[in-house]
Amino acid sequence: MRGTALLFYILRRLLQTVPVVLGVVVLNFLLLQLAPGDLATVLAGEAGGAPKEYIDLLRQRFGQDQPVIVQLYRYMAGLLTLDLGYSFRQSAPVLQLLLDRLWPTLLLMGTTFLLSLGFGVTMGLLAALWVRTWKDHIVSVVAIIFYATPLFWVGLMLILLFSIKLGWFPTSGMEDVVAFNEGWDRVVDIAHHLVLPSITLSLFYLALYARLMRASMLEQRGLDYVTTARAKGLSERQITIRHVLRNALLPVVTMAGVQVGSLLGGSVIVESVFAWPGLGQLAYQSLFARDFNLLLGIFFLSSCLVVIVNLIVDVVYVLLDPRIRIG
Amino acid sequence: MLIIRRLAAVSAGLLAAAVLASAPASAQKPGGTLVQITQPEPPNLAPYISTSGPIGQVTAKVFDGLLEYGFDLKPVPSLAESFEVTPDGKTITFKLRQNAKFHDGKPFTSADVRFTFMDVLKKVHPRGIATFRELTAVETPDPYTAIFKLEKAAPYMLMAFSGYESPVLPQHVYGSGDIKTHANANIPVGTGPFRFVEWRRGEFVRLDKNKDYWRAGLPYLDRIVVRFIGDSSTRTAALEKGEAHVAGFGAIPYNDVKKLAALPSVEVTTKGYEMVSPIVELLLNTKHAPLDNQKVRQALAYAIDRQFVIDNVWFGYGKPAAGPISSNFAPSGMFEAGKDYNAADRVARANALLDEAGFPKKADGFRFELVHDLTPYGEEWQRFGEAVQQQLAQVGVKVTLRYEDVAKWLKRVYTDYDYDISSNFLYNLADPVLGVHRSFHSDRIRPGTVFVNGARWSSPETDKIMDQATVEPDPAKRGALYRELIKQTSEASPVIYVLELQFPTLVNKQFKNVITSPLGIYGNYATAYRE
Repeated sequence: MRGTALLFYILRRLLQTVPVVLGVVVLNFLLLQLAPGDLATVLAGEAGGAPKEYIDLLRQRFGQDQPVIVQLYRYMAGLLTLDLGYSFRQSAPVLQLLLDRLWPTLLLMGTTFLLSLGFGVTMGLLAALWVRTWKDHIVSVVAIIFYATPLFWVGLMLILLFSIKLGWFPTSGMEDVVAFNEGWDRVVDIAHHLVLPSITLSLFYLALYARLMRASMLEQRGLDYVTTARAKGLSERQITIRHVLRNALLPVVTMAGVQVGSLLGGSVIVESVFAWPGLGQLAYQSLFARDFNLLLGIFFLSSCLVVIVNLIVDVVYVLLDPRIRIG
Repeated sequence: MLIIRRLAAVSAGLLAAAVLASAPASAQKPGGTLVQITQPEPPNLAPYISTSGPIGQVTAKVFDGLLEYGFDLKPVPSLAESFEVTPDGKTITFKLRQNAKFHDGKPFTSADVRFTFMDVLKKVHPRGIATFRELTAVETPDPYTAIFKLEKAAPYMLMAFSGYESPVLPQHVYGSGDIKTHANANIPVGTGPFRFVEWRRGEFVRLDKNKDYWRAGLPYLDRIVVRFIGDSSTRTAALEKGEAHVAGFGAIPYNDVKKLAALPSVEVTTKGYEMVSPIVELLLNTKHAPLDNQKVRQALAYAIDRQFVIDNVWFGYGKPAAGPISSNFAPSGMFEAGKDYNAADRVARANALLDEAGFPKKADGFRFELVHDLTPYGEEWQRFGEAVQQQLAQVGVKVTLRYEDVAKWLKRVYTDYDYDISSNFLYNLADPVLGVHRSFHSDRIRPGTVFVNGARWSSPETDKIMDQATVEPDPAKRGALYRELIKQTSEASPVIYVLELQFPTLVNKQFKNVITSPLGIYGNYATAYRE
């Protein structure tokens, strides 16, 4: 019974997201029209100059000789059939470009998400258990340092130390382009390349979750139900693990869901520093080239991603806390 | 009588000489992977519809041209074994190589040449539309002869046949479908020493050795991987660690070049830009007061301390520019120093000119104000703008700096002309017709077309000189015309020429013979090898 209700809930939420995502697309489309300059000028600029005939030819090809409303209509009509258009700058269909770049980003984001949540929660938990001891202070200070350090700087310092001085990890990229490994060797190679970028991106979020977890644990520990549990004769260990931890996790999970959007933003920097071939770099390049078809495609994909992750977070709530009901 | 330039006989000798000059023949063993850093990542791999620099750094290894060029800027054979030009300059006959094959195994013939030049480059190549404007037909009497018919003589055209500038395409691949959105735009097929294998976007392009290359025994390398690394510090780190082996065209920041040059594993050269010849310039809007006044423009040209900019902004990688034409053209007689804006008393001269022009210093020490639009290409342009600001302040001109992104800046300067001064660096390319005329000719004042006459200055006399030089087949007479052009344009000073950029190219010392032509990393690396 509960299973079917959950399924219906998920389906209904998914249906609700359709107008949200479409609204995001229309809004982005109109916002991008405000940016001065266009793809044709940028392409000509990159080429070191081009005759007028060539630039006119480009505009006509891109459909930029049409009124905005016609361009919007064409784009939306295409979107409904999952045709995200063609990137004239990259000479490839947008959907194919996005799918090529999606899995490196998901790999980096997923690893970061697990690393930061896992270590963050553990650090916060320990700090709360050791509250007001020197160990708590160390954890808190380390978290503040991580929180305050710019990502690109952390990335560069890790490269300097671990790849140039110590030679433990490669400086950049996703795999060894001289060896071109296959099979398991390739998996190991990619994991080896993943270490530095995911640590870099994790540090900030790790600090965030650690601080939140600590505060949340301390708050829960002072509540009445803990006193009741203690009066019932449960051991401190049981209280912490069965009651306090589960309740303290709720705000952290909420925060983690909200942070997925900003994780995409942070990955722009990390992908750039480590030459990680993900969506973030693609978004950055296409913005400066005014490659609007591609940019709209990225916005579309990332809005889908954020919506889905938030849905997952809502479902996780239910699993963590039986008092929260779906619907 | 025909002027005959036979290149076939010398070709083998030249090649051998080039190879021998650099290293003993025994050292060239086949094998090895060379990793090149190209920045930024190319938007596509279609050099026939875009001349965006990074594309050529990749595709010049895949496509051959009819000709290549030596450091003396003279043509050497490639897919064409020889060529002849008639005395009126209106017919060029190419004799083609008979053993060349495309990477899909099909033979290369004159039909591919006709297709490439008539159906593709002349119609959709950004520079080809202008370069091949006079080309009316390519006749193909047999599979190994291609005769170019021209409306008027076009001596500059002979400089545009490299694999970088005019890649020869297989008709059986690119001939079907719309060339502008062709399925092979990112899967290039050519006759070059390396064949395209894979492009993983955001990561690398992989090119493997073409085992059937028409130059027997070449290339030496097994593979070239071109990597894309967005962050400049990481690019430096990759070269330092030896994960990458070649980088040029400003991919490594100038301050890091010094650091890498000190490593025993890295060699730095400034050769390989002789057919590019970039010049850093300040573009003056000659329709905006007070820049419509020639004396003001000359005064600003005097006010710029070129050596200071070279030493402090470009870390010494440049030399003072003497005029619109690069000193790289000295061997062909087309270079001469223009008006000497570098004179020892230049600041005094600038002040005197501004007084004469009717702009005395006011109570606050300034004569007038200008806005300088920075080139949004990187940090050095910001510093260059600051240097300009300081130096113009010394002669009483107050400068405000404005920074916008590339698209907005291009629109402001080359479409709306809503600027006072802007900086830029334009390539002279292989011939002044291709790279220099665009800055001065009245028919290059075209709103919406970037990197042309944005200063909007022209004169009937200079237009006439350029029109004559365009069709003049005699090199001596052309040289005289250009020297006159230099004189007149540097007097009028619509553009302030600051320095000839000398890009450093960094090469890992394991690899030899990498930079072997005036096109540098736009070369094909056929004779590069690993020690």
